[in-house]
Amino acid sequence: MAVAIAAARVWRPNRGLSQAALLLLWRPGARGLARSHPHRQQQQFSSLDDKPQFPGASAEFIDKLEFIQPNVISGIPIYRVMDRQGQIINPSEDPHLPKEKVLKLYKSMTLLNTMDRILYESQRQGRISFYMTNYGEEGTHVGSAAALDNTDLVFGQYREAGVLMYRDYPLELFMAQCYGNISDLGKGRQMPVHYGCKERHFVTISSPLATQIPQAVGAAYAAKRANANRVVICYFGEGAASEGDAHAGFNFAATLECPIIFFCRNNGYAISTPTSEQYRGDGIAARGPGYGIMSIRVDGNDVFAVYNATREARRRAVAENQPFLIEAMTYRIGHHSTSDDSSAYRSVDEVNYWDKQDHPISRLRHYLLSQGWWDEEQEKAWRKQSRKKVRAPRPGGCGGGC
Amino acid sequence: MAVVAAAAGWLLRLRAAGAEGHWRRFRGVGLARGFLHPSATVEDAAQRRQVAHFTFQPDPEPREYGQTQKMNLFQSVTSALDNSLAKDPTAVIFGEDVAFGGVFRCTVGLRDKYGKDRVFNTPLCEQGIVGFGIGIAVTGATAIAEIQFADYIFPAFDQIVNEAAKYRYRSGDLFNCGSLTIRSPWGCVGHGALYHSQSPEAFFAHCPGIKVVIPRSPFQAKGLLLSCIEDKNPCIFFEPKILYRAAAEQVPIEPYNIPLSQAEVIQEGSDVTLVAWGTQVHVIREVASMAKEKLGVSCEVIDLRTIIPWDVDTVCKSVIKTGRLLISHEAPLTGGFASEISSTVQMFNYAICCVELPLYGKPCSIL
Repeated sequence: MAVAIAAARVWRPNRGLSQAALLLLWRPGARGLARSHPHRQQQQFSSLDDKPQFPGASAEFIDKLEFIQPNVISGIPIYRVMDRQGQIINPSEDPHLPKEKVLKLYKSMTLLNTMDRILYESQRQGRISFYMTNYGEEGTHVGSAAALDNTDLVFGQYREAGVLMYRDYPLELFMAQCYGNISDLGKGRQMPVHYGCKERHFVTISSPLATQIPQAVGAAYAAKRANANRVVICYFGEGAASEGDAHAGFNFAATLECPIIFFCRNNGYAISTPTSEQYRGDGIAARGPGYGIMSIRVDGNDVFAVYNATREARRRAVAENQPFLIEAMTYRIGHHSTSDDSSAYRSVDEVNYWDKQDHPISRLRHYLLSQGWWDEEQEKAWRKQSRKKVRAPRPGGCGGGC
Repeated sequence: MAVVAAAAGWLLRLRAAGAEGHWRRFRGVGLARGFLHPSATVEDAAQRRQVAHFTFQPDPEPREYGQTQKMNLFQSVTSALDNSLAKDPTAVIFGEDVAFGGVFRCTVGLRDKYGKDRVFNTPLCEQGIVGFGIGIAVTGATAIAEIQFADYIFPAFDQIVNEAAKYRYRSGDLFNCGSLTIRSPWGCVGHGALYHSQSPEAFFAHCPGIKVVIPRSPFQAKGLLLSCIEDKNPCIFFEPKILYRAAAEQVPIEPYNIPLSQAEVIQEGSDVTLVAWGTQVHVIREVASMAKEKLGVSCEVIDLRTIIPWDVDTVCKSVIKTGRLLISHEAPLTGGFASEISSTVQMFNYAICCVELPLYGKPCSIL
């Protein structure tokens, strides 16, 4: 018995063209593609048939002893829309986002990057106690945030500040939380980067890893019951995916048919632990089918790929009440946090490669330039302006309450 | 687990008769009798089988809540859940095996009445059950989670202590999971051994941000459970499993609330304060009557009801009156909740006694 991986092309009604390829693990005798009631129906019990009657699996018999070989040499392929130079590869996959939206994507990523630099320095200067940068992963944040509705509930881990940035969380409140000052709506109770915003539907971050995963599933279940037409998105890293809570969340989401997007940022490291020491299977995307979850792997440094996958997952999660798993491959360019010096466990060359050759911000900039929507002068002006915004944010930007 | 529960049910049906919980009849020496008869030799005690027992003592029929019906503990729980689901359209009940009625029959009939989207099974994963419940509560809906035995609550400990208890505080009240209630069968049942008998309330007592409640009877259970469900903080409601069938009394059909964090003085006395919760309340009630009968000692019996936040005032006031305190619980002694009560009372009463000794003239001592 061979395990065949079939690509199912999914049609988007308002486009009429094939869109994101969603990979589904398919076995002979399987009862079709995932749908909203994936119960295994028991076959009519008949002792004359030599077919399996077990309630636990829908499968044929085989009389040849053969173990399934996990396929890690040629894993689930990585969906991308742009090449590393920001050029669209397959025009039919181009989401054709309007200029304002793409500029918003770009400005969110760069503003986040600027804020990261300044706050990292603030920690080094002793102004704040701790900080975590998002270098290299900005694409995963804004690409996914742009594909959601503003009221979709977000459960994050700690490296998703770009989602809040895209939702226009005021700079002053980011920094108030990091400084733990009187303006912090979290009342200065947590370490820096543990943001939360009720108005923007971003649940307050907590330090224990992966605890948000089953919680996000519960929230999605409640949203389904309320007929809210809302999806819940749950972010986590490939390290947190090793936690028991991740397994619990995946299984619950599938069995209870919850409209949730599991978004895994696979950035290669969990502090100092590389992925080779985190798992032996084919990453996190390959786990999804094991739970009965529609899954895809995307290039996390390609905002359009992230956008397309999240958009389609959102549409179907809400329409069909089923979970989706997106594994966004990316790279953590910065240290784990201000308490970490990653030169202790990885080479500077490796980091430089990603910073220079495959960065989500550069790739989008190339795209913007090729579209004629951006130029060097605007780049210079924006860099200056974003530094100014971070250094002297306007007070009361949230309008009195989050 | 279900087999044990089924066996438990069978045994309890055989042994329990009416309101009395005598499930073994031996001429043996209970621990209480051993204490009251110091003349019994060590050899005698060793030869006689040491068996504890209790007799469930029903409370008088409540008059102020309308029509009542004879219910045992699991039926009173069902009644509370029924009232909650009727009143609150967002309320859902979930956990292992709750759909068919639960291994202790606490959710019988609810799925048929309220629908499979409101009363449903989850996969076998306690950390998932509690995490999922927190998520439902974060959206504002009412989540009533069941952990099949308190012995299995530990995988959910991280979600309870690190997440549920701290949700409101850490977010500066932007988010909370106050509408979460976790119910779980608790305590000795006789044959449960290590993993179907535990009383883990002390582990949770060390955690600010949650409430832990333990009823002694069906009437108490329904009122306290309804208060837990309506409380704006995540609550853990431990149900003494031996009382599921052994305890039956008149319970109001309509919903009613018994306040949390209020201990109840079940019996007034003057010589010693006895504090307990859950099943043990009935044991110390019996001890109180034996003490009265055999020693002429007048005991004040207090049912603590809420473990945290516990009713310090009622207990301390009582100890000021009697001057003596005895706390009895099923859980292990070291770090058990009695240690918290006794140290608080000693601190409180020591201060009172030191200041006011000349006025009261009565020494304080803790047994």
